[in-house]
Amino acid sequence: MNYLWDNLFRRGKKDDDTRTILRENILFQDLGERELRFVESLLHVRRYHAGEPIFRQNETGVGMYLIAKGRIEIFVNDPNVLGEEEGREIFITQLVPGDFFGELALVEDNGRRTASALARDESVLIGFFKPDLNEVLARSPEAGIKITLRLAEVLGKRLKETTEKVSELRRAIKDLRSPPASDSALNANSANSSSTNGS
Amino acid sequence: MEAKLRASLRRENRIKLFAVLVILLGSAVILFAVDNLLISFVLAFVFNYLLAPIVDFLERRKFPRQTAILIPFFSMAIVIIFGIYKVLPLMTQQLTLLDSQLPKYQIDLMNLVSGTEQRFKGFFKLYNINFSQTINDWLMVKSSQLSSALPAIVSGSLTVLILTPFFAFFMLQDGRRLTRTLMSIVPNSLFEIALDLQYQLNEQMGGFIRARFLEAAIVGAVVWIGLQMAGFPYAGLLGLFAGLTNLIPYLGPLIGAVPAILIALISEDGMVASTMGLNLVVITSIYFFAQLIDIVFIIPFVVAKIVNLHPVTVVIVIIIGSQVMGILGMMISIPIASAMKLVFQTFYRHLTESR
Repeated sequence: MNYLWDNLFRRGKKDDDTRTILRENILFQDLGERELRFVESLLHVRRYHAGEPIFRQNETGVGMYLIAKGRIEIFVNDPNVLGEEEGREIFITQLVPGDFFGELALVEDNGRRTASALARDESVLIGFFKPDLNEVLARSPEAGIKITLRLAEVLGKRLKETTEKVSELRRAIKDLRSPPASDSALNANSANSSSTNGS
Repeated sequence: MEAKLRASLRRENRIKLFAVLVILLGSAVILFAVDNLLISFVLAFVFNYLLAPIVDFLERRKFPRQTAILIPFFSMAIVIIFGIYKVLPLMTQQLTLLDSQLPKYQIDLMNLVSGTEQRFKGFFKLYNINFSQTINDWLMVKSSQLSSALPAIVSGSLTVLILTPFFAFFMLQDGRRLTRTLMSIVPNSLFEIALDLQYQLNEQMGGFIRARFLEAAIVGAVVWIGLQMAGFPYAGLLGLFAGLTNLIPYLGPLIGAVPAILIALISEDGMVASTMGLNLVVITSIYFFAQLIDIVFIIPFVVAKIVNLHPVTVVIVIIIGSQVMGILGMMISIPIASAMKLVFQTFYRHLTESR
């Protein structure tokens, strides 16, 4: 499940300056200095206490968060997905400054959050939401398209990872259901020999 | 430890929410309490929504935001000055004509009323109503009231005339920053839903106002052109009046047609039934045609998509609006009701679906 939430685009350097964080993020990396300044003017800086939820699973999501400071933990709490007992939270991953999460909500219409996010420490997050993306598209379409293309790339990469993991899982399930060919051949031989012995 | 954290979070969230509500309610109280502020604010709001697409368009063409705002403002000023030079003489001419004819119309109207009264004498006698006297008294009272209230109306209009563009400019320039500042104190737990709601309300209100003005402009233009072609006097004035009154839901189109029909009724000397009848048919058809365009093309394709309210709800809401705030109440009741519906739906969904 980690591949869905883990930051596949993590970079080395960490900085809590908003513009630097934006510049280093894959979604905003193509923007010029003026476009970056414009996008920065639309963002929302939110502060969270340690232990405070950022959003909960099944809530309607409006956008994504970039981590400027602190660690964020991702949990799922869905008995249908993982077959766990109700109310139990399953830890998925921990995200650190420079990472981002919730970007699927930028393109979904009334999409629900598929996991919960919780601040592990005193955290500062930079919120970029659907209304902000729409405003970028309305007022500076070039910048909007650059962000949207990168967003498509991120979502595509996540889809690719998911498909690969699903294939792996299917293979594993298939292997579990049907024992390896050499084993069955061995079993058949032993059955034959016993019947022979019996007759 | 966890319980303590939750309690402190809850307290902090409550304080933040209280602060937001105090700011919103405080602003509303100031708007309602200070003279001319509400009407200036509503008008500035309308200008803001009408000009926003133009400002965004110019910004896309790489104009800095401030320049992008100033261009439509100056263009409007030029249009107004041009209007004063070109259209005003026409309007003044029509107004002077109307003014000179007004006593005649008043007498004709009274004759019409008393004539009708004579015809239905038996009926009115039964109820002991002197219709012409009642109307005459009402007209006298209203005109004296108007003249005594005139200084206040003029100074009020001047205040509105100065405040409206001032507010509109700053709404376009700093409106988003102001909303973001307000959003920054919304508690974390409600932040996303508040942001989404604010965005949807903004979109809905903008769409509604632009659609209503498009409607008014089309109805006004059709009436103007129609009356001009029919050779009817005061075509421009009546078109403008029809456009403006069309902003009032349901009653507006009727009110808009009243002056033209009255003029058609009383301007005919000696009231020759045949020509008057023909004139009336032509006038009514023009107004009807304008409404037809509105009902068949504009309302279903533009307005209905923006305002998601049942017709019965709309009627009830307009009645409430008219009782609370009169004509202004009728005009703003539909957007306010659809905004309330959106707020209710969003919070209901948030409360029921997140668990």
